Amino acid sequence: MSEKKYWKGPEELHGDPSFIEKKKQEFPEELPVFYQKEDLKLSASRRDFLKILGFSFAGSALAACTRMPVEKAIPYLVKPEEVTPGVANWYASACGGCAASCGILAKTRDGRPIKVEGNPEASLFGGGLCAVGQAHILSLYDDERLKGPLWQGQSVSWEKIDQEIKAKLAGAGRVILLTQTLTSSATRALIDEWKKQNPSLKGQWQLDAVTYEPMSLSALREACEKHFGVRVVPHYRLEESDVVLGLNCDFLGTWLSPVEFASAYSKRRRVRENNKENFLKHIQIETSLSLTGSNADQRIPIKPSEEAAVALAVLNELMKLAGQSSLSALPHSINAADIQSIAQQLWKHRGRSLVISGSQQIETQSFVLAINSLLGNIGTTVDLDNPSQQNQGDDRAVEEALKDMESGRVAAVIFYGTNPVYSHPEPERWIAVLKKVWSISLSDRLDETASLATAVCPDHHALESWNDAEPVAHHVVFQQPVIRPLRESRQAQESFLKWMGYEGNYYQYLKEYARSRYFSQQSGFLSFDAFWDHSIQQGVFETSESARKNYSFQGSLSEVVEQAKSQKALWALGMEVSFYEKIGVRDGRGANNPWLQELPDPVSKVSWDNYACVSPAQAKKMGLGEGDVVRLKDIEIPVHIQPGQAAGAISVAVGYGRTHVGRAGNGVGVNVSRLRSVHGGVVMSAGSVSLEKAGRTVELACTQLHHSMEGRDIVREVSLVDLAKASHEDHGKKEKLITLWDEKDKEGHAWSMAVDLTNCIGCSACVIGCQAENNVPVVGKDEVRRQREMHWIRIDRYFNGPEDNPQTVYQPMMCQHCGNAPCETVCPVLATVHSSDGLNQQVYNRCVGTRYCANNCPYKVRRFNWFDYAHNDSFNYNMNSDLGNMVLNPDIVVRMRGVMEKCSLCVQRIQEGKLAAKREGGPLKDGDIKLACEQSCPSQAIVFGDLKDPKSRISKLNQDKRHYHVLEELNVQPIVGYFSKVSERSSGGHS
Amino acid sequence: MRPALITGKVTLNELTQDICQPLKTKPGAGWWAGFLVALAALALGVGLVAYQIKVGIGTWGLNKTIGWAFDITNFVFWVGIGHAGTLISAILLLFRQKWRTSINRSAEAMTIFAVMCAAVFPLIHMGRPWLAFWVFPYPNTRGDLWVNFRSPLLWDVFAISTYFIVSLVFWYIGMIPDLATVRDRTVAPLKKAIYRVLSMGWDGSHRTWSRYEILCLILAGLATPLVVSVHTIVSMDFATSVIPGWHTTIFPPYFVVGAVFSGFAMVTTLLVITRKVMGLEKYITITHLEAIAKVILVTGSIVGTAYLTELFIAWYSGNAYEQFAFKNRITGPYGWTYAIMVFCNVITPQFLWSKKIRTTPAILFVLSIVVNIGMWFERFVIIMTSLHRDFLPSSWSMYKPTFVEVGTFIGTFGLFFTCFLLFVRVIPVIAMWEVKSITGGSHE
Repeated sequence: MSEKKYWKGPEELHGDPSFIEKKKQEFPEELPVFYQKEDLKLSASRRDFLKILGFSFAGSALAACTRMPVEKAIPYLVKPEEVTPGVANWYASACGGCAASCGILAKTRDGRPIKVEGNPEASLFGGGLCAVGQAHILSLYDDERLKGPLWQGQSVSWEKIDQEIKAKLAGAGRVILLTQTLTSSATRALIDEWKKQNPSLKGQWQLDAVTYEPMSLSALREACEKHFGVRVVPHYRLEESDVVLGLNCDFLGTWLSPVEFASAYSKRRRVRENNKENFLKHIQIETSLSLTGSNADQRIPIKPSEEAAVALAVLNELMKLAGQSSLSALPHSINAADIQSIAQQLWKHRGRSLVISGSQQIETQSFVLAINSLLGNIGTTVDLDNPSQQNQGDDRAVEEALKDMESGRVAAVIFYGTNPVYSHPEPERWIAVLKKVWSISLSDRLDETASLATAVCPDHHALESWNDAEPVAHHVVFQQPVIRPLRESRQAQESFLKWMGYEGNYYQYLKEYARSRYFSQQSGFLSFDAFWDHSIQQGVFETSESARKNYSFQGSLSEVVEQAKSQKALWALGMEVSFYEKIGVRDGRGANNPWLQELPDPVSKVSWDNYACVSPAQAKKMGLGEGDVVRLKDIEIPVHIQPGQAAGAISVAVGYGRTHVGRAGNGVGVNVSRLRSVHGGVVMSAGSVSLEKAGRTVELACTQLHHSMEGRDIVREVSLVDLAKASHEDHGKKEKLITLWDEKDKEGHAWSMAVDLTNCIGCSACVIGCQAENNVPVVGKDEVRRQREMHWIRIDRYFNGPEDNPQTVYQPMMCQHCGNAPCETVCPVLATVHSSDGLNQQVYNRCVGTRYCANNCPYKVRRFNWFDYAHNDSFNYNMNSDLGNMVLNPDIVVRMRGVMEKCSLCVQRIQEGKLAAKREGGPLKDGDIKLACEQSCPSQAIVFGDLKDPKSRISKLNQDKRHYHVLEELNVQPIVGYFSKVSERSSGGHS
Repeated sequence: MRPALITGKVTLNELTQDICQPLKTKPGAGWWAGFLVALAALALGVGLVAYQIKVGIGTWGLNKTIGWAFDITNFVFWVGIGHAGTLISAILLLFRQKWRTSINRSAEAMTIFAVMCAAVFPLIHMGRPWLAFWVFPYPNTRGDLWVNFRSPLLWDVFAISTYFIVSLVFWYIGMIPDLATVRDRTVAPLKKAIYRVLSMGWDGSHRTWSRYEILCLILAGLATPLVVSVHTIVSMDFATSVIPGWHTTIFPPYFVVGAVFSGFAMVTTLLVITRKVMGLEKYITITHLEAIAKVILVTGSIVGTAYLTELFIAWYSGNAYEQFAFKNRITGPYGWTYAIMVFCNVITPQFLWSKKIRTTPAILFVLSIVVNIGMWFERFVIIMTSLHRDFLPSSWSMYKPTFVEVGTFIGTFGLFFTCFLLFVRVIPVIAMWEVKSITGGSHE
């Protein structure tokens, strides 16, 4: 037999020496590894082989001994190009947590998203992300999401349901599309196209898109239309203001675009960057103590009925200053001196001041616009030319649509991101309508409205969707999917296109839209594909804003005064009540998110519930105690005694009492939407209600039971004036304390962290950021009541001063990583030890759970696993389902019961940063390692770095005269430090 | 003239007869009732501990701020109870206090059982009790990972285990002559075989006695420092920490005296019942009870002084945290526990100045129980009220025990009394050989 010689290439045929050399190796081609070759000095001697053999044998024998359930990891047979196991990929996208549409980066590991963070490229938002945004990744893995479309409650295929819907719509006539706020310009264009579409079918096709928001800004939009002729929500320029007056407006917490505002606010109050001259002065006048109000330099509580009167009083005072004749005044409770001083400060900063109100009383909004107009703020800090699209709710249009539906003039209604049966003040009207009008819901779950709808076509989660968002005109954020859809859901826009009969998918539509609209507005890229790839990669596309114009104020103010006088009926029902959103649950959309339910409200520190905030004086007068249940109309709700709450008014949070949202959110709190009145077509954010005691008491799940610092030196406060005067010595007492221990020499790095209490606004974004990063379990209401929440970082909130209007300070508290750690000496089994670079480390698998370390921790930051929180039916949250567990960070172990845990200063991120620097062969650069809390902070209050690097930010900050350690007299030598809070509060200092 | 240590004239034979009587006869209804109640309590405790180990420490009322409460309170309480036994058998032996002879056997038994009850808590209070063996410094393959010799909890492990072993050996060695007596009097073959093995071939020769008494003295010498060391080290669990209210140098003597105080109270409780039920009034006389009462009076007064000293030092230190901790103990939400503690431990013992009260067993019985309640509250006050409000007010918290915690505590009483009731049925409850040395027959 003749021997044929097959050759692979000319090298082999000609016997190229380098080829022959390569051929001898086991793997002639380079192995596809992420690490560079130098890192992989793979050499194994016989001894190594025997060691490994012995280890694997012993290991498998040991593994066989345990009762651990076997969970098979399946490696990729064919590895996707961009996925390297164990290495994270980051994708830019847009946040779907609320309509603020912040730019985000989504971290994926092995193809699944595990964390979202703010996109630093999105200049509008500053790179942070709020608690809701960070938690919305958990909703992706929500078990309650529908598996596929439903037709009359039955599971059907998409083809089938599309046929049915198309047939129905074709002969329908008038169709109402009730949408959530659409920040996506492409989606609005699509709907416009759909509206115009004449399917040339029988029946009169008329599509009306109506935007419904449970907490709309209708009054503001209407006032803008009335007085400036533009029906918009202005874009507020906090960063350009010197004085801001908030009137019932929680702009740092829940209102319109909190991340953007928090970022701008902190930029203007960042004393550590020598920003002392133009420190933003903040005055807040409000009913309930909001997150925003708690940060104000001056805060005045008022009843909601006084809102318009107070705005008018400020306006009158300003008119005096401007030399105009003032309007007739209305009665209010603020003393004249305060009004005068507020007006003077605003007047002094004309054109650089800002008054914002979240009120739904049109009169208040009119006065506020008049104030801004008088101050020359329109066109400077109040931007009507580049408006915000982040809340487009239009109550009047919703009311008209509802009336039309009731009167039978509407054939079908489509709910996109809306759930009026839950959130509308008059749900029974919607229920009645849904009985006669044919309806489609695009909800991702069988919510209160969807369960009554004819068809349910579940929408994707934001992280599965393609989209664009233009939260503020000319600031575009792109949304790209970071995972293949987990369910048989379909993006809402895709459904619209299907029903329109459009060929092709929404991705193509969006691309075409971007080509026609965005590509033309730029000049950096010649080819659209390059532009598109770049924009998607960056996640952000910004064009120059339209020039800001001054609008002249139209309309008669004395008419508005007359109107305001006639509003007495609104407040007639006994107790005045204002409605607000809580930081985590907001309007209730994310109510099935256990992270958000367990997030303590920064002000009340209550989780897992809503409640009626009652002022201490009012509670005393009415004999109410914490947790006493009261009846508001026919709704029973527990009382929370809230210092700072206006006397004579209560405040209740919307967003609770969901019945069809899922196992974590159903039945949590009570739904108070029915208490809201509709007044002149606007759903009011305040009103009045009858109040009586129900005669029982419940226990609220409060994470902080004591609210005074007891005169202890925990949060230091200093006024701007004193700061300038103070020297290093008299500012922080840096006594040299002696110690019995040897000075520990730190090798390599000396990590340190500092939290600037001037900038921490208490928003709790870091709490959720940490929870997502470190697999912190949810323990539920009962366990929080037992004071067993597991958060590694908490926001301590202290009040000082008078109970009716206290000053509030926030202090993020996490493991302080003491150099002389009290926890380390007491552990009998060395389960908590010190690293060479200064970290206090907890070794979970060594811990036997004596809890001595937690007892001996002066900061009480250690958290004990009282139960198994994962795979335990008693804790039926995300960690009890396979899908919910997808969100877990694979770099972090899930702790079993009986072990202690605590903040590790994100040791996995430190390791990752160190490895990356090593791989790149350079030194670690300051700022390369960002901890989860630091990264998430919208106001950039947290700085982490290496003290061994003399040029690092932290090295400089540790020299600052405001820098101090909490409880430094104990000489535990923490590496986490704080900066005294600087404010313009009239009487700073400790309680 | 000192009063006679036992009343009436008894011959040595009568004494043996009297004391061995319970070992021969069937137990009476009273014993059965007591035994069943104790057994039921023990069963409750075992069930609850099993439940708690299966489900988690979360079944207790602890939280993020209060990591120890009922568990360690009970631990210190039981360890304290044990102290009287060792004190009576070792220190009083060295001081040649003859009156101890009638009561040392039962007091030592009490020590053993109390330490057993105490040892339950450090074990079950762990989050992962199945790994409790990690606290022992045994040779292993984990390399550098060993125990932490800086941790007071580790010192506890050594202190308690040493104490238990020495007490057990001392108790057992002290029983050998009596076991031999029982062996010789027993007819039933199985019982006889058991007593034969236990009495280790005791032959009663002069040589045996001579060696035996030397051994007893050596063991007494070994046990004596333990009386002081065990509770000193237990107190260091708190004294070496940073928590205001725990971080106190007075703790070692204060804990030791408190332990003796509570231990003697428990001895009183047990003996008043035992002498009555088992008809041993002849041997455990009013004189004995009065001597014990005097010890209670002295130690109780020292404890009261310690309370005042603590308050003074808190004021004198000028440390705001320290001052707050003590103010909070007295006037805070758990002020009532402090009030109970002061009433039971400081006021109650002062009644013992009256001879009438010292010599009335019924009153002594009530007083001893009051003292033990007070001493339990003392530990609760120290442990819980210091933890519940420490440095940062944001973490201040409240504590309420759960059914599981209370049930487990009851369970340890079940264990204690079950053991004690079995003890009185199988072992001579009074050291016959020692009492014989002080009866009129052989003494003076």
